[in-house]
Amino acid sequence: MESALAPLDCLLPAAALRACADGGANRLYHVTEGSQDSFLPDYISGDFDSIQPEVKEYYKVKGCELIETMDQDLTDFTKCLQILQKKIEKKGLQVDVIVTLGGLEGRFDHIMASVNTLFHATKITPLPVIVIQECSLIYLLQPGKHKLHVDTGLEGDWCGLIPVGNPCESVTTTGLKWNLTNQMLKFGTLVSTSNTYDNSGIVTIETDKPLLWTMSIKI
Amino acid sequence: MESALAPLDCLLPAGNLKFCLLILNQPINKGHFHCLWSKAALRACADGGANRLYHVTEGSQDSFLPDYISGDFDSIQPEVKEYYKVKGCELIETMDQDLTDFTKCLQILQKKIEKKGLQVDVIVTLGGLEGRFDHIMASVNTLFHATKITPLPVIVIQECSLIYLLQPGKHKLHVDTGLEGDWCGLIPVGNPCESVTTTGLKWNLNT
Repeated sequence: MESALAPLDCLLPAAALRACADGGANRLYHVTEGSQDSFLPDYISGDFDSIQPEVKEYYKVKGCELIETMDQDLTDFTKCLQILQKKIEKKGLQVDVIVTLGGLEGRFDHIMASVNTLFHATKITPLPVIVIQECSLIYLLQPGKHKLHVDTGLEGDWCGLIPVGNPCESVTTTGLKWNLTNQMLKFGTLVSTSNTYDNSGIVTIETDKPLLWTMSIKI
Repeated sequence: MESALAPLDCLLPAGNLKFCLLILNQPINKGHFHCLWSKAALRACADGGANRLYHVTEGSQDSFLPDYISGDFDSIQPEVKEYYKVKGCELIETMDQDLTDFTKCLQILQKKIEKKGLQVDVIVTLGGLEGRFDHIMASVNTLFHATKITPLPVIVIQECSLIYLLQPGKHKLHVDTGLEGDWCGLIPVGNPCESVTTTGLKWNLNT
């Protein structure tokens, strides 16, 4: 399987669908202060233990869909993704990628849960799912070959390949300052962090197991 | 192998564990800092961790001098480096680019613990769990490397989070210091764990 993506392309406008996972609605309400009604999500889903009552009421009155998802074995993120995929299919939308804002800072268990959702995502949607927060982006690469376009101009100066969840026996890359050739990536042996780019604008990665790509965003 | 630890004992003013403190390049929580600093047997900074120390002790830096600062020194500010140098802190340049400043600082710490014959129960690291995602993962990776560097447990603390890598075997964690927050978790980072059994959690695992 070969895939191609420009991970930071999404930071150029515009989104086809917009959703909040539970307390994500608080964050949306806060960041759009003064003009919340110009930034209404298509839906808010979750177990609603984080969303503030006044925020929930506001968006309900404005006609946003509120979808309560009580399954405690899955996180709000995972459940929100399931709903998003259903809506994409129902509306017949042409979508290339799902962009998630948040999930990479704060409680350590929540950061790990975000990574875990990327693993679950492969069973939920065929679309690539990326997660962005502040200067970090993560994207889970499935076994196979991948081409990443890193010439949007928004790329920061670091990147990495993290064998989170399982060792990768054989990883080969091009386009990085420190490339790998059929090398093993494994916690305790070798993890690629603080890597950077050569000037080609393209990174290729071939991996035998799921491998987490991470990169910085200029902010 | 069976081990026992009270991970948050180091944050108790009257805690029992003897520990060394390692400061990484992340904002320092003042509350954590003062308790940890006062009780630590050895205190070290990894590169830009010295900037953080200098900043959090503003006005009385000379009462909080680290035993050493190590790293490739690409993050420490020149004036901070000069300050600690003049005050007599040991500056140890470690140029190995295959290992992070954290890992190298840990290697030096273990050597000093052995050389001084210190009685130490745990190594406490401040920082490393926020900021750049690759750095967070590098912190986790250092915990894997740590097993080859030191026989001591290494814990990493930042803000409300703590991480501690459990080796294969049985572990007992004392979580009754009163400082425990309301969440915890078990993360198979790096490899799947085929068989995990727990007690004491709300949702235990049983294989």
